[in-house]
Amino acid sequence: MLARAHAFTIEDLHTRHVSVEVDVRAGLPAFTIVGLADTAVREARERIQAAILNSGYEFPSRRIIANLAPGDVRKAGPGLDLALACALLAASGQLPRERLERVALFGELALDGAVRPSRGALAVAHAARRAGMRALALAPACAREAMLIDGLDVPAVAHLRSAVRVLSGGPGDELGEHPALGARGQGAIDEHAADMREGDLDEVRGQHHAVKAIVIAAAGAHNVLLNGAPGTGKTMLAQRIASILPPLSREEAVEVTRIHSVTGARVSALAVSRPFRAPHHSITAAGLVGGASRGSIGEVVLAHNGVLFLDELSEFSRSTLEALRQPLEDGRVAIARARHSAVYPARFVLVAATNPCPCGYAGDGDRCSCSEAQMARQRRRLSGPLLDRIDLLANLHVETDDERAPALISSAQARAQVACARERQAARLAAEGVTVNARMDGRMLGRHARLDERGERMLRGARAAGLLSARGEHRVLRVARTIADLDASERVRACDLGAALALRTDPSVAGSRAA
Amino acid sequence: MSAGRRTRGLRAACTGCRRRSWLLSCLSGPLECCARDRARLLELLALEDRALIDAVAGRRKAELHARYGSFTARELPRDPHVEAICRHCCGYPQALDDRATAPPLEVAGGAARLAKLTAAPVVAILGSRAPSDYGVQMARSLARGLAASGVTVAASLTDGVAVAAHAGAMDAGGASVAVMGGGLAVSCPARRRSLYERVKHAGCAVSKLPLDCAGRRWGQLASERILAALSRMAVVVEADDTPEDLAAARIAVALGRTVAAIPGRVTSPLSRGTHALLMDGATLVRGPRDVLELLYTVGTAEQCEPPPAPVGAPTDTGLQPHLRAILERVGSGCDTPDKLARAGVEPSAAVLALSELEVIGLLARGDGGRYMPRNAL
Repeated sequence: MLARAHAFTIEDLHTRHVSVEVDVRAGLPAFTIVGLADTAVREARERIQAAILNSGYEFPSRRIIANLAPGDVRKAGPGLDLALACALLAASGQLPRERLERVALFGELALDGAVRPSRGALAVAHAARRAGMRALALAPACAREAMLIDGLDVPAVAHLRSAVRVLSGGPGDELGEHPALGARGQGAIDEHAADMREGDLDEVRGQHHAVKAIVIAAAGAHNVLLNGAPGTGKTMLAQRIASILPPLSREEAVEVTRIHSVTGARVSALAVSRPFRAPHHSITAAGLVGGASRGSIGEVVLAHNGVLFLDELSEFSRSTLEALRQPLEDGRVAIARARHSAVYPARFVLVAATNPCPCGYAGDGDRCSCSEAQMARQRRRLSGPLLDRIDLLANLHVETDDERAPALISSAQARAQVACARERQAARLAAEGVTVNARMDGRMLGRHARLDERGERMLRGARAAGLLSARGEHRVLRVARTIADLDASERVRACDLGAALALRTDPSVAGSRAA
Repeated sequence: MSAGRRTRGLRAACTGCRRRSWLLSCLSGPLECCARDRARLLELLALEDRALIDAVAGRRKAELHARYGSFTARELPRDPHVEAICRHCCGYPQALDDRATAPPLEVAGGAARLAKLTAAPVVAILGSRAPSDYGVQMARSLARGLAASGVTVAASLTDGVAVAAHAGAMDAGGASVAVMGGGLAVSCPARRRSLYERVKHAGCAVSKLPLDCAGRRWGQLASERILAALSRMAVVVEADDTPEDLAAARIAVALGRTVAAIPGRVTSPLSRGTHALLMDGATLVRGPRDVLELLYTVGTAEQCEPPPAPVGAPTDTGLQPHLRAILERVGSGCDTPDKLARAGVEPSAAVLALSELEVIGLLARGDGGRYMPRNAL
């Protein structure tokens, strides 16, 4: 007899529908699983047999063939156990077959028949709704996660017997106490969000120029480089950008939560704050963009819709930084390896911090002791394609205690300004298919960032003086547009352009010792 | 000497003089060993050829004496773009030709051009190899102003101040003379290659060693003597008070050249050398204008034409008052937007003014993003 159940397998960030067909017929007793299953799926045979017997059902001692379709998709992970067991029970006549067609099943089985939670519940729920399933049965621990998707019935099944009950038309299990689940299931992003909320811009005293740069970066989603001597507050400032970014929209929140769900963090609610990732500078290129092994996800993907903070930018290896070029340009990472390829979303704001020279004190009186060759090395590491994609350069300077002015702005005020500026941008750029100034290309700049007469004159002068390349001009105009937006000005004025010029990136980040 | 005068008018260096440069390249190793003791090195270099062999050749004495006797100019490498001249030639710079040991020179760019460049007053720009951004800017603007006024800038091609000086002269579309420490074909470091080509294209590069001889440290010291002798005046831009940084300035003093220095902050170790020179009686200069005044009033009577006004460097005449006020504040140490804001300038106006001044070319961003004036105020 033949029975068919529906399950899902997770491949990178994509969830694929898997049709589980089980055929039971006369012959020598055997249990074979075909259909490009990986080790975890093939081991399911033993788990399923034990679980069925321990739950008080009969394991048919006949010839059993399970097929996982489509046959060309690699199936990974133990999440197919529940669907296999239920299809087997249906094929051996211990369970009605009708409901199997409409209820997707997802979960790993314990030997006693209990259903264990598997990672990626949110992604699976998302895919189940798209595949037209009416319900998704899974372990109570991850049922809340799946409930975040509207329009899908999510019965919790704690045991194989509960699954049989649900498939026979009965109710699902209790979800259990919420606080207990919360304590166990709080995902990495929620913890992160709590951490990040602690910092507020009003703790940053002085450095007004750099604080302004951070607000501009948040308002226009510009990538920003903080350059300054050790101890001037680069890291402190960078960490506070998370507190002034606008809240996630619902689609963005689902994207972020799905990524975190797939990486194994159990989430009980949609992400509310933007991700903030700060990898150490010893990270490899594969760690940063992903692709170390099948399904491994890089930091840039985890920072999707949020902030990627690279402290000590010049200490990152050259190849790592080069790997950032594609995500910074396209907002996605395409990874191709011998046996798999994948495309991940990776649209983030890059916040980088660096010292101006190896000793860190260039420009600070006479403290710098670096030779010209050392400065040149620093410059080589930073310059080039990466700097080309960073719109803003904020210099921080050593300030003595009595020089230090009170804080410029609090996070709440900055957040309000940023939200206003983003609204203006979204309204203006609605027809262009982008939402923030940082994504404007040359054509859009021509339409939306027109300068007044004095500004035009200044831009011509800057070009003639060799301060701006063609690409640098675009960067400056984008930033000037954002500064005008923060000021609620429709035109880009000369003062906006002046401020943007003062914040432009150029290869002289690392000192100007070479004449 | 009289024999030398009689044959003056040769088009290329005579065999005797070329033999000298060949000998120096043969003795480069032993001379390098003496380079630590500056006085001894200069003493050795003042010796006659045979005496020099006896002094430093060691085991190779006999061999070198034999090869010295049978030397022909064909033993030296040749390059069609490089001319060799010596004090018996018509194009040899007069400033160097004051003693019998005036060295033969290999000149890239042509003897005629060197003669033309040294006919104008020559100012050597000296200084540290690791200057601050202030030193770089000062050297560059000084060279720019001098080159634009028709003065020839001379410097070595070592890192720091010297490179900035050449770059400044190139900025003004002028020509400069690079005095190299080793052979012209080998002594330019790879990172200076493009600047070196530009210097050779517009001006000259000179060296006393054969093309393929790496000068190392002793060659550098020896070239500083040529540099000091070639110039009418030496300006030290930024130098620490060490024998290396001040070597050329001391030689210039010994040769009786005018030595001037640009002051820095008295707390800065990078300006200790210049301040020491000023204490010893060097003339204080603030920019090209002061140098020109010194050149054309202190100089000998034969060259008392009125100095042309410095051109090329952007002038700040006709600057709007608020920009001038900001420029002066930056010059006096308020060199970041935050410092200007603390000094009472409205922040957005300060940033706009800084950018405007940068666009005009009166300010530049230095180390760590600080603004600094590109010309002396």
